Formats: sequence, C-alpha cells, structure tokens
Amino acid sequence: MLRDRHFWMVVAAGLFLGGLGALLAVWGNPENSGICVSCFMENSAGALGMHDNPRMQYLRPELIGFVLGAAASALLFREFRSRGGGAPLPRLVAGVFLIVGCAIFIGCPIKLFLRLAAGDLTAVAGVVGLVAGVWAGLRGLANGVEPGHPSPGVGHGGPLIPAFFLLLLVFLLVRPGFIIFSGQGSAAQHAPVPLALGAGALLGAMAQRSRFCITGSIRDAFIMGRRTPALWGVVAFLAAAVAANVAFGRFNPGLHGQPGAHPEHLWSFLGMGLVGWISVLIGGCPFRQLIKAGEGDADAGLVVVGMLIGGALVQSWGIAATAAGVSLAGKAALLAGFAAVLAACLFWRARTA
Amino acid sequence: MFTDTFDKITWLLLAVVIAALAGVLATNHGAGAGRAAGLGKAVEREMAYRARVELIARLYGPVEELRTAGNDQEALLRLNELIRSYPGEAHGYILRGEILRKMGALDEAVASFEEGVRLNGDYVDAQSPLSRRRAIEGLVVEGLAGIGGRAAANPGNRSLAASLRKVNYLKSRLAGGCE
Repeated sequence: MLRDRHFWMVVAAGLFLGGLGALLAVWGNPENSGICVSCFMENSAGALGMHDNPRMQYLRPELIGFVLGAAASALLFREFRSRGGGAPLPRLVAGVFLIVGCAIFIGCPIKLFLRLAAGDLTAVAGVVGLVAGVWAGLRGLANGVEPGHPSPGVGHGGPLIPAFFLLLLVFLLVRPGFIIFSGQGSAAQHAPVPLALGAGALLGAMAQRSRFCITGSIRDAFIMGRRTPALWGVVAFLAAAVAANVAFGRFNPGLHGQPGAHPEHLWSFLGMGLVGWISVLIGGCPFRQLIKAGEGDADAGLVVVGMLIGGALVQSWGIAATAAGVSLAGKAALLAGFAAVLAACLFWRARTA
Repeated sequence: MFTDTFDKITWLLLAVVIAALAGVLATNHGAGAGRAAGLGKAVEREMAYRARVELIARLYGPVEELRTAGNDQEALLRLNELIRSYPGEAHGYILRGEILRKMGALDEAVASFEEGVRLNGDYVDAQSPLSRRRAIEGLVVEGLAGIGGRAAANPGNRSLAASLRKVNYLKSRLAGGCE
C-alpha cells in the first residue's frame, strides 16, 4: 500500500483537510468551524437572502473554493464529465435532510472530526452516530437499495453548478447591495477572503484528485478494513487537526462549554446517523457532493441545491440546534428525515422475484 | 458547435447579449437606481440595529437611573414590569441579571443572563454595543466555582443541576462556534 500513489494522495488530502480546517479557525473562522460545509451553507443561504438570521449571513469563500478548485482540477486532468439523471428530485430532498441532520448535530462530518480534534467530547456521540448511519446505509446497499445510476451527457447541465459558484465568487468580490454580510455573530467571524478562497480551492482540487471524503472513508473501512487508503486519510486528518490545535493552544478537552456544541447526545447521535445513512445512499457526504458537483455531476449538483435550501429552512424554521439543545422543530424535522430515508429504502430497492 | 449558420448566429447573439449586460452594469454603476440598490440590506439592518440600541437606552433609562441611585429593589420591580410588557426583548433579563448578581443571588442571576443570551446572542459578542461579555465571563467563572461546587456536593439536587446547565450554556456561548 505504501508504494501506491493513490494512498499518498489520500493521506495528503487528509493532512491538508485537517490542518487547514484547524488553521482556518485560527485565521478567523468560528471556533472549531474552520471548515463546516453545513454551517457555511447556512451562512451562504443567509447571504443570498434566503433566511433572516442576522448572525448567519456570509458568502463563505471556502465553499466557492471547493467547487471551483474541483472543477479546475477536473478540467486540467480531463475528468470533467457532465452527467446526471439518477433520481434527481430525491437527491434534492436528500440534500435538504443532509443539512437537517448536520444542523441537529451542529456541523458536517468534517466539523465533527474538527470538534473531536479540538477536545470536544460531545462529538463522540456524533462519531458513533455517523458510523452507525454509514453501517445502516451499507446494509441498505447490500440489500438492493439503489438510487439510480447517472448517465453521461451535456443535457444534464453539469457545468451549471460550477457556473453558479463562479457567480457567487463575483458576488463575494463585488459585494452588491442585495448580498447580506452579518456584522455580528458567527458569520461575522471569517478568515481573510484570499486565504479562505485559496485553502478552499486547494482542498477542492486535492479532494477531486484523491476522492477523499469522511463518510466514504468510514464506508470503505467497513468494506475493506485496514486495507483501504481512505482510513489512513482520516487518521492523517485527525493527526493534523490535533497537532494544529495543540500548537495554537486550541485543544481544550471536555464535555461542557465547547464552542457550537450541545449536551443532547442522543440527538447528536441521531443527527449524524441520518447524515451517514443519506451520504452512503447518495455517494458522499456534503463535502463530497460539492466536489462531485464541481466535476460536472448534475445529480450531486441537485444535492448541493438541496443543501442550500436546507440551509435556509433550518434557520427560518428554527430547526438548527444551538448550545441550549435541540428544538421541537429540530426533533420533528430529524424524524421526518429518517421517515424519508426509510421510505426511499423501500422505493429504491431492486427486488428479485 | 460552429458547424452551421444557426450555431454561428446563436454564438454571435450570445456574445452581443453578454456585452450588452456588461455595458448596462458598467454604465449604470453608481447611478441613481444603482446607488439605491447599493445601499444594501446590510446597511438597512445596521440602521435598524442602531435605532434599536437607542430605543433600548430610552426604554431602560429609568431603570438605569434607579440603579445609579442605589435603589436596586425598585429597579427590579420596574424591570419585571418591562419584561412582562416586552417578553421577547433580552435587555431586561440582562439588566435583571446584573442587579441580582450585585445583590449576591448567583443562581437567579445566572438564570436571568441565560434567558437574555438565549433571546439575543449580541450580549456575548465583544464588538456589539450591547456586549456584556466581560460580565458574563465573570459570572461563568463564579458560577462554575459556586454552583458547580454545590452541585458536586449535592448530586441529587435537580435545581442545582439545572443552574449548572445554565452556567455551561453561557460558557458554550462564550466559546463561540457556528450556530
């Protein structure tokens, strides 16, 4: 395995993702949220005027970097393929529920491990939930649950999502009046735009080349055990993030008083469980969906649109959890997400007579 | 994509439309309607926020006067009236927390601050004109030592456990994070 080029690409991607994830918080992003696709989606939806939480509105350059970096890398290495048509509408709904699950836990799988690497012990429930969700998703796949295969073709509009994020980049740089930027709260905390954009583009390109993603790594570990390079990518991610947090005095082990965390461990478990389950069914966590959308995958693009809608809904409807815990709306939305996934497992299942 | 006349005309029209769009944006940049749009939602919100800060100062001014005069009991009564009239406004809870803390009622002060911060996170922001960050930091340190110590000595006491949860909530909000 050590002679395999792909192994080292995955390890490098994990190192950079963990290291830059911790460093972006040092450079100005909210504590333990150097990279958080779901939080950034909520911020970006707010910046576009899709919700009115004045503390969660900022066009996060990291997201733009992920998509455009992946698109540039795919174009450079001739891997950009417009493809789609594999259950597009269910994928859009899946994107909404991905963000619901993340909002209940307060963070995407990347932030889950960043929180853990900063000593946040409440994240342990999320890790267990994510692993359980991935396992449940794999059980579904093994029993014939299949959301449909994408087909290649320019008619699917693969370049549309990269083009949309290019437009967001213009909005970020020009800052027209209809784009909202928070003056207070976590959205007002951000790394300098060139650093955030550069880090995002680098990570987007590396993730595109290596295919690295957190839930994918857990899935591969279930299937292949220690032989999968992806598992070592996660180890590298954790090692880099812990090292950076220790170096910058940001490693504070404990259960209470952690940034952007709540003490309702069962709901943290369930939130990440839903994310893991959906991610396996649709082929990747929120981060991976952005990368695939950058490569021209229109199905992943619809998941991204769903995540943007989800980012708006979790803020507008009070679904997102806070340090105080999970709201009634949040609990109801999460259970609705599980109902949707279970129904999808029934409808998508290929049965032999 | 340049195979026939139709393609060529379509590409030409597309180029003309893009050039026209760029021209419209460039020539109207900074002009009347553009400037109005450029005022922006963020600026409008900032103005509304400033107005709110002034309204708060006017609304709670009498309470501040009573506090300055050392009449804390009467200030508390006045605050309770204001909290009943404006239950969604956090400022009353924060002021009540400050008075209760000064009077030595630590648990009640924590509860009042917690309610205020839940309603409006601006009070933990260092940059906000409404910021009470330093006061809340002090309260958390005092709360962890005082309430935490009592809760550890009385593990079955539910009210102490609830108070400790409130201290931890304030500690989490001070720690920041994305929410």
